Amino acid sequence: MLSYILRRIVSTLPVMAIVALFVFSLLYIAPGDPAVVIAGDQASPEDVERIRQSLGLDRPFLIQFGSWVWRILHGDLGTSIFTNLPVSTMIGQRLGPTLSLMMVTLFLTIVIAVPLGVVAAWKAGSFIDRAIMAFAVFGFSLPVFVVGYVLAYIFALELEWLPVQGYTPLTEGVWPWLQNLILPAVALGCVYIALIARITRATMLEVLQQDYIRTARAKGLGQGGILFVHALKNAAVPIVTVIGIGIALLIGGAVVTESVFAIPGLGRLTIDAILRRDYPVIQGIVLLFSFVYVLVNLMIDVVYTIVDPRIRY
Amino acid sequence: MSEDLLRIDNLHVSFSTRRGLVEAVRGVTLTVQAGEMLGLVGESGSGKSVTGFATTRLLDAAGRVTGGKILFRGQDVTKLGGDDLRHLQGAAMSMIFQNPRAALNPIRAIGLQIADAILTHKRISKDAARAEALELLRAVQIRDPETRMNAYPHELSGGMCQRVMIAIAISCNPALLIADEPTTGLDVTTQKVVMDLLADIAAARGMATILITHDLGLAARYCRRIAVMERGRIVEEASPKTLFSAPQHAYTRRLVAASPTATSRIEDLVTEEERERTAAVVGKPRPAPAHGTPPLLEVRKLAKRFDEGSAAVADFSMTIAGGESVGLVGESGSGKSTTSRMICRLIDPSEGDIVFDGQSIGHVAARDFHRSRFRKDIQMVFQDPNESLNPRYTAFDCIAHPLMRLDGMRGGDGLRKRVEECAERVGLPLDLLPRFPHQLSGGQKARVGIARAIACRPRLLVLDEPTAALDVSVQAVVLQLLDRLRRENDIALLFVSHDLNVVRMLCDRTIVLRNGGIVEQGESRALFDNPKTDYTRKLVEAIPHIETGPALAAAL
Repeated sequence: MLSYILRRIVSTLPVMAIVALFVFSLLYIAPGDPAVVIAGDQASPEDVERIRQSLGLDRPFLIQFGSWVWRILHGDLGTSIFTNLPVSTMIGQRLGPTLSLMMVTLFLTIVIAVPLGVVAAWKAGSFIDRAIMAFAVFGFSLPVFVVGYVLAYIFALELEWLPVQGYTPLTEGVWPWLQNLILPAVALGCVYIALIARITRATMLEVLQQDYIRTARAKGLGQGGILFVHALKNAAVPIVTVIGIGIALLIGGAVVTESVFAIPGLGRLTIDAILRRDYPVIQGIVLLFSFVYVLVNLMIDVVYTIVDPRIRY
Repeated sequence: MSEDLLRIDNLHVSFSTRRGLVEAVRGVTLTVQAGEMLGLVGESGSGKSVTGFATTRLLDAAGRVTGGKILFRGQDVTKLGGDDLRHLQGAAMSMIFQNPRAALNPIRAIGLQIADAILTHKRISKDAARAEALELLRAVQIRDPETRMNAYPHELSGGMCQRVMIAIAISCNPALLIADEPTTGLDVTTQKVVMDLLADIAAARGMATILITHDLGLAARYCRRIAVMERGRIVEEASPKTLFSAPQHAYTRRLVAASPTATSRIEDLVTEEERERTAAVVGKPRPAPAHGTPPLLEVRKLAKRFDEGSAAVADFSMTIAGGESVGLVGESGSGKSTTSRMICRLIDPSEGDIVFDGQSIGHVAARDFHRSRFRKDIQMVFQDPNESLNPRYTAFDCIAHPLMRLDGMRGGDGLRKRVEECAERVGLPLDLLPRFPHQLSGGQKARVGIARAIACRPRLLVLDEPTAALDVSVQAVVLQLLDRLRRENDIALLFVSHDLNVVRMLCDRTIVLRNGGIVEQGESRALFDNPKTDYTRKLVEAIPHIETGPALAAAL
């Protein structure tokens, strides 16, 4: 098991290297001289030359890449052109809100979607099943910002149960923290709840057809035992896969959600950095997201082997 | 009557399908006494399994008991619900199924699966349940039970999985066990071991058993009373002896005739009433090949190793003359399918050579063999006609395809004529040609598979268990068809099968394989009547015999 995890980690290294190369090349893929791009429209030739010198852009590409990677490995993501702060500091400040949003969303999604899917499969063809699936189609079709504004209008403005916008760090208490995250998490989670509920239902329907479910019934097992002990675990591999893909998509969704609910997270930082052409920050964020994505995939692979003993490691 | 353990009274079961209600069981009445083993025999669709499922209340959602009673210890099972039902299922009545590997949860250790059953019905600790599960594994004679407790189904053989199923079924000492085709799909030797075990356990625990099977011979060997079902009704109920010596009902007579025995001949497989229709078939014996004629196929020292593992087949040599039929028998894992696929050039041998009609074809890569001029000379009939036909091809397309690919025929009248001629040769009615596989019966699909294989007039037909998925009465017809094709068209047959009785009838010579090597070979009848090796003897003895011989007399 341990050697399997190690081998999987080693196998992610080439992926990370390619991602790093791509992220680094962002500067060069953008049309024009990188130094000019960074300096902006109003820069004088002297400014451009200064930037070129300070960033080492006059050296050969591979050497630049090498020293960039070397610095990253030592935790140095560079300095923002706009704020002159280290990129790692800027990301660190914004990491908390985004991580909180993603975790709460993920938690809500799994806790709501999986049982919904199981019930829909169990009662397949019934009114409950059709209601759940109708809700799922609804959840698919609505964009995050529409759901976000509608939720904010109902629960924050009309009922005044929850705050409209903003973010409170966890250090100031669990409830204040959660209060600010519930609406954005529901808005962001809608699509994933719909998606995962549907996948859960489809996989469960297939599993419930299997002979071993009949065996479980023949043993006299209760409905709960059959559904959750025997069926759900067998249905887990596709569900876990979709949850993993969901986490990756969540990163994109977080950008929009943070704008709607004015959460000072990485999504906002990304948008700001792009608008300001703050390349070091963009590079740092893309690199971080890629790393998270690779990590999530690694975790999913490990979960597979725990769930299904037939997957050899 | 009150002492009947189970009394099924005029049971009706219907399934709602897209085409409306289908009545699967129509008025079944039978009784089972405590401790008795009753055989319930019938072909697919006869309603025997549905009767079993109705009794244990495991019918699909689409199935419903529409009439009659199932009295178990005087209590009507069909009216039970909730906790009463759960106390019945697994505790008082349990069931084992066909295809044991699929019947076990693939991702749960077998020890846990046995403990599940125990914990559902007894209020004991998990450790105590585990200890009981271990005892049960011992009772079903699983070697090294401590280690096997943590094994998963995919790590066990089919026979072992069925033993685990038996362990689960007997875990709460039920009064009635319903075994639905418990050994179908297992090797004959494994079948014997599992059935002996089941019979011993049932006898030791005084457990009544209903053995649901399509195999009359198997039921005759283990049951004192057999009920024969046809189309949802019980048509005859008698002791095995009476059933075989004096079957009353026409269907029973047909079933008895179609079940191959050690002495039956191909032409015996249908009853006398029906024989007239096929009488014309039986005829001229095949002339012995002239001396010095080179064999049609010669296989020299063939070997196959799949990556890493040991050899699946090693040092395999054989010859087949034109028009000869050779049987290849052995248990699963003996390498018979691998060998037949190499000869068909569907997979590449690791060593050795295959010479067809004087030309070496062993070194043509399997994926290039479709371009060889011998492709149309060597054709294959696959095991499961349900799986091996493309669901989107009509019967016509299936037969026409090889003609277009290998004989270079274009569409039009010529092609239509050839396809119709093939269909006629295999006895497939021409009006079935536009149908898709799902609109055909098992026997009809088997005919399409054979028609496809003979379309290009091959000289060697390799058949991989062509009748294993078919009912005996259909198997009888297919075997007659194959024998007729061989005689009429001088096609050589390489017949891969685990059913020794079938091989004995159809094949001139037989090769016995074990662990990838030849154990014994020779003229079929001599080989089976006087096996020279222990392995062959074991195989022959494991076949359930249905004639009223000494074995049966001893059992009675």
